[in-house]
This record gives sequence, structure tokens and C-alpha cells, in this order.
Amino acid sequence: MSSNSHVQTPLHYLHGAFNKTGVDRALFNDQVDCGVVIKEAPLSAHLNLRGDAEDSAFCAAVAAVLGVALPREPGFCNHHQSASIYWLGPSEWCVITIDGDAAAIEAALREKLSGHISIVDVSGGQTLINLRGANVETLLKKSTVYDCQALAAAKPGQCRAVQTTFAKASAIISNRCDGSYDLVIRRSFADYIGQWLLDAGAEFGCRIEG
Amino acid sequence: MSRSIMQKNRLGSGACTDASKRIDFSFNGKAYQGVAGDTLASALLANGVDVVGRSFKYARPRGIVGHGAEEPNAIIQLGSGAATVPNLKATQVELYAGLEAFSVNGWPSVDFDLMGVIGAFGRLMPPGFYYKTFMYPKKLWMTYEHFIRKAAGLGATPVERDPDTYDKLNQHCDVLVVGAGPAGLVAAREAARAGARVIIADEQSQFGGSLLASTQTLDGIAATDWVAQLVAELQGFDNVQLLPRSTVFGYYDHNFLAILERRTDHLGLTADQGARQRLHRVRAKQVVLATGAFERPLVFAHNDIPGVMSACSVSTYINRYGVLPGNKLVLVTTNDSAYQTALDWHQAGRQVVAVVDTRTDPQGDSVNAVKALGIDVIDGHAVIEAQGSKRVKGALVAPINADGTAVTGSARGLNCDLIASSGGWSPAIHLSSHTGAKPQWDEQIVGFRPGESKQQERSAGACRGTYSLAACLAEGGNAGAEAAKLAGCGDGTIHFAAPVCQEYAQQPQQALFLLPHTQSTSRAPSQFVDFQLDVTAGGVELAVREGFESVEHVKRYTALGFGTDQGKLGNINGMAILANALGQSIAETGTTIFRPSYTPSTFGALAGRDVNQLFDPERYTAMHRWHVEQGAEFENVGQWKRPWYFPQSGETMFDAVNREGLAVRNSVGILDASTLGKIDIQGPDAAEFITRIYTNSYLKLAPGKCRYGVMLKEDGMIFDDGVCACLGDNHYLMFTTTGGAAGVLAWLELWQQTEWPELQVYFTSVTDHWTTATVSGPNARKVIAKVCADIDLSNQAFGFMDWRDGTVAGVKARVFRISFTGELSYEVNVPAHHGRHVWEQLMEAGAEFDITPYGTETMHVLRAEKGFIIVGQDTDGSMTPSDMNMDWVLGKNKTFSYLGKRSLERSDTTRDNRKQLVGLKTLVATEVIPEGAQIVFDSKQKIPMSMQGHVTSSYYSACLGHSIALAVVKGGLNRLGQIVYCPLADGRIIAAEIVSSVFYDPKGERHHVE
Repeated sequence: MSSNSHVQTPLHYLHGAFNKTGVDRALFNDQVDCGVVIKEAPLSAHLNLRGDAEDSAFCAAVAAVLGVALPREPGFCNHHQSASIYWLGPSEWCVITIDGDAAAIEAALREKLSGHISIVDVSGGQTLINLRGANVETLLKKSTVYDCQALAAAKPGQCRAVQTTFAKASAIISNRCDGSYDLVIRRSFADYIGQWLLDAGAEFGCRIEG
Repeated sequence: MSRSIMQKNRLGSGACTDASKRIDFSFNGKAYQGVAGDTLASALLANGVDVVGRSFKYARPRGIVGHGAEEPNAIIQLGSGAATVPNLKATQVELYAGLEAFSVNGWPSVDFDLMGVIGAFGRLMPPGFYYKTFMYPKKLWMTYEHFIRKAAGLGATPVERDPDTYDKLNQHCDVLVVGAGPAGLVAAREAARAGARVIIADEQSQFGGSLLASTQTLDGIAATDWVAQLVAELQGFDNVQLLPRSTVFGYYDHNFLAILERRTDHLGLTADQGARQRLHRVRAKQVVLATGAFERPLVFAHNDIPGVMSACSVSTYINRYGVLPGNKLVLVTTNDSAYQTALDWHQAGRQVVAVVDTRTDPQGDSVNAVKALGIDVIDGHAVIEAQGSKRVKGALVAPINADGTAVTGSARGLNCDLIASSGGWSPAIHLSSHTGAKPQWDEQIVGFRPGESKQQERSAGACRGTYSLAACLAEGGNAGAEAAKLAGCGDGTIHFAAPVCQEYAQQPQQALFLLPHTQSTSRAPSQFVDFQLDVTAGGVELAVREGFESVEHVKRYTALGFGTDQGKLGNINGMAILANALGQSIAETGTTIFRPSYTPSTFGALAGRDVNQLFDPERYTAMHRWHVEQGAEFENVGQWKRPWYFPQSGETMFDAVNREGLAVRNSVGILDASTLGKIDIQGPDAAEFITRIYTNSYLKLAPGKCRYGVMLKEDGMIFDDGVCACLGDNHYLMFTTTGGAAGVLAWLELWQQTEWPELQVYFTSVTDHWTTATVSGPNARKVIAKVCADIDLSNQAFGFMDWRDGTVAGVKARVFRISFTGELSYEVNVPAHHGRHVWEQLMEAGAEFDITPYGTETMHVLRAEKGFIIVGQDTDGSMTPSDMNMDWVLGKNKTFSYLGKRSLERSDTTRDNRKQLVGLKTLVATEVIPEGAQIVFDSKQKIPMSMQGHVTSSYYSACLGHSIALAVVKGGLNRLGQIVYCPLADGRIIAAEIVSSVFYDPKGERHHVE
């Protein structure tokens, strides 16, 4: 899908945007240290999955198709290679496969799953951005009331993920093993959140990359 | 640095000032010099500036009394222009080069004040004066108030935009320590050692609190050096955040506290880089309050003359700032601690005229130290009156009885220019009170202690009435360790030995607040309790005589404690005087309740970065930039930015909307409909669930089909509407209004989760996933055909209210044949990342038909021509489907009923003469009735007229060549053909005929077109 040249990710228009107090972008741009660098993932498969977490057949089928165990504990995200499953609620998950094909994943899941389930392609409606850099935690403190520092440390294959407010919008925030954070945000709010991050990050420098 | 200006009261460097670094500043237009480390107050005192302002009511000259947040008089305006800051306390303003300050009270100057004339009639302005005088006539109150406020001079707010930026940090910690005096510092160290995440905040520029002005030693080193060591130690912890210049101004529920950090105010008026101030919103597991205490001044006649100060403030100016605010000191005290001020004054080399002690034969260590220096200690006496006008010239001293209620002998005058007073200490229990803890009066400390804690907090040190340094340090350490333990860090063990410091033997203080005078309180010269608002002891007693008994009522009647200092100096004295007047104890009288903010905070910090374009999120569709590039004007719909109309060069909105509307009716138009709410519904019971929510039935809706539905709240009133499509077995897509999307999803979840959990159905918002381009007009099919090869677009294969999967411009799409314009329409839905591409391909395909982008205004006109309602515009939460002439949408034979059905049978919803939706056609074709206009049947009747309805939508229809309106009129459907009138505010009356609400193509032939 991402091979389509006409595809525009939600933050498309802000790729290359840069803000640092007192620094003229035209003169420096990438040469300036930024306390936070924001990178938007390429167009990926995002699916909303509903089902019964108590149904072992359901859990097993999801794990078989995605190669990732379904997280059943609140606030966790399991991932393997390019696929991640975020716990959103007792019967709700967000599946993201970087560079994946949502239609193919949905078809594979429907093939294996039965009973009362729901699979919805929401790839166009959200995007995943990664926030890295020395000042990421300060930037998060400016943006969300959630205590991101208190999240249990991410480990290979598993991290913490919380759905919470972000500025005046919302986001799924998860921590990564390398100290960076992933945010899943809604498309219609992406521009607002991008502008917010550039503004909030100005004191230490903030850049958005595609 | 410019030529040095004489600072006549500058002693040299203090513990926190560097006398070798001079700083130029101005006050009320006059140039002065201070030194590095000064506050504006210490610099003014160094320069011998006596009068810093005028009082609120009587315009009496006032001087600096305190040295911190308690200061009632030195209220100043900083700078001018956009960045000017009103109502700062000079005691809290750090001096910087070029600082410009002005008194907020006292025009044209503090030395000659026109309003001072009123001051001469002070006795004529008793408490409640304003209420009593200006009560009648009521309509003049606004005039009086304007005059009073101008005269009172509460500072000037800038009229320009604030040039500064502000921001907020959401903080979380195990232990928040408020105050970095001795108790707070050791509390933070213990908590940090236990591994807790610690934040320690102090309102001053330097940590240390009272130790910054102390002559004591700790562990054998000077207090300030000990503080420096401890601060360095705290900085060494990764888990400690130190916040100087940060006032914890509010303590709210669930251990949520707000801190205002002043980041650049000490550097100048406007921050060059970054945020000027930062609001820290802190969620703390545990809190240690170590906020210290305020020294209470004594109340005596003319105690407001410049040159009357708090004893500890005099010591602070000497030791911390190297400033001697006078030459000849008379100290009046009820306790031992104030003797330190006499020692400091003497040590600095100026004369202590006398120490006047209200007690008889005091013998504490400090007292004896003073006596040993040969200083005259006059016991059993009080200063009963200060003498002077713009500066103290002397003190009247008289013997008093043992309980301090009466003068027992003749008064004599002492020649002096400074009177320092101490009536003991009042713990700073403000934050504790914010939590709801009720302050407890303690006879031992002669002050209110913090009440029983309502939150996860404890007080340590002077703020809980502990005044010996050694005890404060011990309490602080315990509090820090305990807080850490309760936050889950450590076992409560104390890790650091308390520092060794001198202990002084003290005798009990006397509980005395108002010093007696030879005349009664009502006759004596003014004895000020609240300096900022000019409340006197006589005023408090008068309030009692006038029948006020509750401390809260007396506060409001006299304005005691209402100033920007919140009565930090005056409140306890006022309550003590009130208790005495009521003949009861202070404990029985109680205290007023402190509320946030502890000190004033700026609006800027409270707003943070939620300003300008970030004030509220702007939601964009995938085609937003295209609309911007085309020069669209935008309309806010909820948080969405929707194109309102697309003006071409030179076009007015009227022109543009007429052109866009005609293009849709005559050829083809294109609308960005992406913002409509979209909810994906899956599950075996999906059809049943939807059928209970909408008024009509979806049980027989086949895949590939759509149906329009209306949903009601339980009261039977229309709540939302839209089309619902059957996507497949047990799979539906519900469209909602743009503004109603979130509310509808919550509504569905509410009913599924709480009332019908047995129905198996899941809901997922797909509003953001799909982008919708609506192609509408007689040429719509031809446009779609050019970019879509895999859908049979013929009317037989793809009829009105059908939907089909297909490929549009190379992208997998869902195409819905539904219409809000009444024309042949195709709503093309594609995943949003393809949105702009598909939109541009449709524009290109439509070029030969002159395809015209149209906005929400044209959409409104087109749908009104068809009589289609907009929920929220034509309805207002009090309209049933029948009121909207939409009985056809009510399912008559549903097995389960539907939400709101029962309410449609209430007597009120079935009565005659409800307002009903009709069309209005103005008699003059070009007259457009304003929306919201009221409708009357008789235009000649007298006001108040009998209102029969109102206009809900109104436009000029270019297609019809006349104006059209939708309106709700009482019994309107039975009045077709009648003439009604809309009387307007400007005197015009527009006459219109009631017609069908469907103005155009009533048979619907155009959207069913072959």
C-alpha cells in the first residue's frame, strides 16, 4: 500500500518541520541539536480488534495470525518484529503492523476467528509517531497528565501502553526499550498534536521527520 | 556601571547580597541604586525611601512593614506597556538592572495624594461605608463603583497582548516538600535518601528560609554555609527536583498541588527565551508542609506610619541584605524571640533606644544578652502610639497592667525613627487549610496550628508552631522519612544526624494583640489591624456593636483580610480583637478559612500554552490543505474546520454561495463530507440494537442498502440523525452528524453496557479512517463513471439509497448513493491517506462539467430547498419527529419499541398547537429573514406580542430565485397559505407565507433520476 506515491500520512505536511527558540530554521535546520525528534511511521496497518479475552481459542488464533500474544493485562503492549498489539480495554485491542496490509491481516484473522468478534480497519484514521531525544520526558510532562516516568520499564517484546489525554486531544502512549516513546494519535488531531509538540519542544528544539 | 548613588542605609554586603555589584533602578520615576541580591524592598530601604504607597481607603502614607509574602503596603506596578505587571509586593521582587517600579496607590504621587483629603475624614468612613453610602439609588452603584475602583488604585492591567510565553508541567512525585527552610531541607534529604522521587519548592530565590537571615551556627558553621552544603547535597540526588522561585499556591483534592515557578521575572520584564513562568501541576503521594511562620505585628495607635516594621523583618534586612532601615530603634515585644532584633541592630552599630516588653521582669537568654549590652529594657510597658506623619519620629510608651488591657500610668515619649514590633508568631497554615483541615487555636504558642490532616500531608517546623531551630530540624527529618515510607520508599529510618545548633532558654510569651491606649479603642487614634484595606481595631469593635458575630461576617463587613496579602499579618490580630469584643476566647471565635491562591498567580501561567492557535484543537480532514490552497473560507463545526464556501476573486459570500448552489443544481458540485461521524457496528445483535436506537426498523435492511434514521433521547426529542448502511451480515455503518459523533458513540456504549449487555454488538469509531467526497448534481454519474470502472452505476443496478464496493481513482472505495442536496449524489469513501488523491482525481474527472467545490453554506441552502432538517439547527432538543413533520420515520410495528417512543405518547408531545416545521416564503422575494426571528400572526398588536414560533433556517435560494426559510410555528401544518410576520429589532417587519417545507422537487425525481 505504501508504495502508492499519492498516499499521505496524517503528519505528511509537517515532515521537516522544526522549532527551536532563537534558532532560524533556514540557517541551521538539521545541524541543530534537538532535544526531541519526532518520527512518523510509514503508512501501516492499524486494526481495532474486539473479542472475548476469556476465550482461549480467540487468544490462540490471534497469536497464531499475528505472531504476538494478545495482552490481557491492562496497560500493556506486546510486540514482535513489526507487529504490536495494544491493550485498550477488557475486550478491545489495537493491532498495528508497520508497513503491513490491513485487508490481508483482517482476512487472515477472520479466517481463524469465530463467534462474536469485531475487526475494523482504522489504518486511515490514526498514525504512529516515535518521540526520541534527551528531553522526551519533559515534553511528555508538558503534554499529558499521565505519569510516564512511572511506567514499568519496557523489555524486549513487551512495553507499557496507556490511552490517555494528550494536550487537548488523546493518544496511546507506550515506552520503548531504547528510552523513546511511541504515540498513536488520531488523524484529524494529528496536525494539532504536531503543532503542539513543536511549540512545547521549542525550548530544547524539536523536529518532525517522515 | 553608572556613577554611584548614595545608599544611606546600606551597611555592606548581607548574607545574600553583594554590595560591590551595584544595580540601577527607578521607583516612581526617581533613579536609585541597589546591589546584587537585593529585593526591591531592601533596595528602597537602603536608599531611605520611607513612603512606598498609600492605603486603600484613607490614602494614608505607608512604608515597608515586612520582607516577604506578608507585606501589605509595598504594592507596586512593575514596568509599563505590554509586559507591565500590577500589584507585586516589593518584598518579593528581585532587583534587576533597569527595573522600573511605581506605587499602585497614590495618584498623582505618593507624597501628595489628592485622595488624601478623604483620609482626613477617616472617621467618616467606618466599616461598611461603601455599602451604607452607595446602596441607594441602586442604578447609581455602577457609577460609584467605577469611581471607587479608580480611586482605590488596584494597579493597571496592560492593554496590549502579553508578549511572554508560559507553560505547564504535569509532575508526579512521592514526596513534595513545600518550603526550603531548615525543616523542609532536612525533610527533602531524608526522603531523597529513602529513594523517594522528591520535589522541593520554595517561593524565594534562594533556599534556606529563615536561615538566610540567621546569626546562628549549625554544626559549627554559619547558617548560610550549612544551607549551601545541604542544597549541594540535594542537587547530587537524581531523584530530587529543586524548584526555587516557586510558590505552592494551592492544595487541592487528591493531593494535587499547584506551583507557580517564576523562571525569568528576576531577569527583567520579558523573557528573551522560553517561558516566563511555569505552572507545575503536581500529583504527590505525600506532602511535607514546611512553610514557616509569620511574625505578628502588634496593634497600637498610628502603627501604620512608615518606620513601623516587624521585628524579624528588621533582622532580615540587616543580616540577609545588609540594610539598616533607620537609625534609632524602639523594639516593642511580647516575647523573647524579638530580642534578637535588638542584638542585630546593636551589632550593626546603630542605637537601640529601648526594648519595650509588655511582660514584667523577662529573664530569657536573649533578654539577658540585650541587658548585658546596656540596652534599656522597659518591662511592663507598651508602645501605645507611634508619632510622626511620613516617618516615625517617636514612640509613646506607657506602663500597662499585667493582662495588657489597660494603661496604668502616664505616657512618655521616646525619640526614635524605627519601631519594630513582635506579637509572637502565626504558623503559615494556609496550605493545610486548603485541604479542609480546621485550624486549631493553641494557647501555648498563641497561634493557630494546622488542624487534623484531610490529605496525605503533615506539617513540620514553624508552620506547626515549632519555633526552636533544633526542634524544627528534628521534625523535618522525621516528616521526610515518614512521608517517604508512606509513599512506599524506605522504612522510615532517619539517616542523618540532626545538626548541632545553639538552644536559647525562653520564657513564655504574652498573648497580647492590641496594645492599650489611654483612650478607648473607639476614641483612640487609628490602631490598624489590616494595613492594606485600612481595617482598624475600632472598626472590628464597631462591627460587633452593629451585630456581626461570625468571624466570616465580620471579615466581609470590614474587609479584614481581603487584600492581595490575604491578611497574613492582620487576620489573627483581627480575630483576637473580635473575640475580645464578643467576650469569648479566640478558640470559640475561630478563624476564617484560607483558600487558594496563597499569593496571586498570573493568568498567563494558568493558560500555559493553550493559547492562540493551540487554544482548542483544530481537526482537519485529509483534503484540508487543498481547501486552504483554493482560498476557502472555513467554518467551525465542533472542533472541525470545514470549508464554508470557496470565494473566487472578487466574490462576496452571497455571490459564491449562489454560484456553488446553481452549479450543483445544473451540473455537478463536490463537497468534503469527511467530518460526518462514522461508527462501525458488528455483532450478531447489531440489527436489533440499531433498531432499538433509531425510531425506524433496520431488521430487514439488506446488505448493499442504506436507510435514513432519527434517534431520540428518552424524552422523545430528536438527538441525532443520519444514514445507516448494512455492510454485510451482522455488520453496519452508522453515519452521525459532525457535531454529534462522540455523543452518539457514548450513547450506544451506554445502552449496550448498562441496559442491554445481553445484546452482542461492538462499536468502533471510523470517523477518522474514512474520507468522504460527495459528488452531487445531474452530471454526478458521468463524473464517477470516468474514475470508477468496476461499479455498474446504472439506476437499476445502483439505485437511490444503495451502496457499493468498488475502485475509485485506483483506490478501494465504498460509494453511497445518498443525497443531502436532492440531486443525484455519490458519496465516495476512501481511507483517509488516499483522500486528497481521490479528491483531486474527481476534480480532474469533473473538469469538463465544470465541477464546483462547495462548502457548508451552500450545502445548507441546498438541503433547505429540499426541506431536510439539520439536527441542532432546526431542532433544539425540544422537537419530536412529529414536530418536524417526519411521522414517516416512526416505526409503527417494532417488536421491542425504541428509545423515546413512550415519551411520544405524553399529553404534551401529542397536544395540538405544538410548534411544527413549515416553510416560509417571504412576500418580497429578496428579503431574507434573520435566523432566530420570532413569528407573530398579528403585526399590529402591542408589545409584548404573542410569539407563535421562530425561524430556524433562512437563505436566499438562487435556484428558486427567492428567499426561503424553515420555521417552527404553533400549529403550523394547519396554517399553510397564511401570512405571518417577523418583527425585527431594527423596526422592520418581514411578511411571509407559510408553505410546505419542501421547496424544490417535492416528488424527489431528481435524486431518483435514471
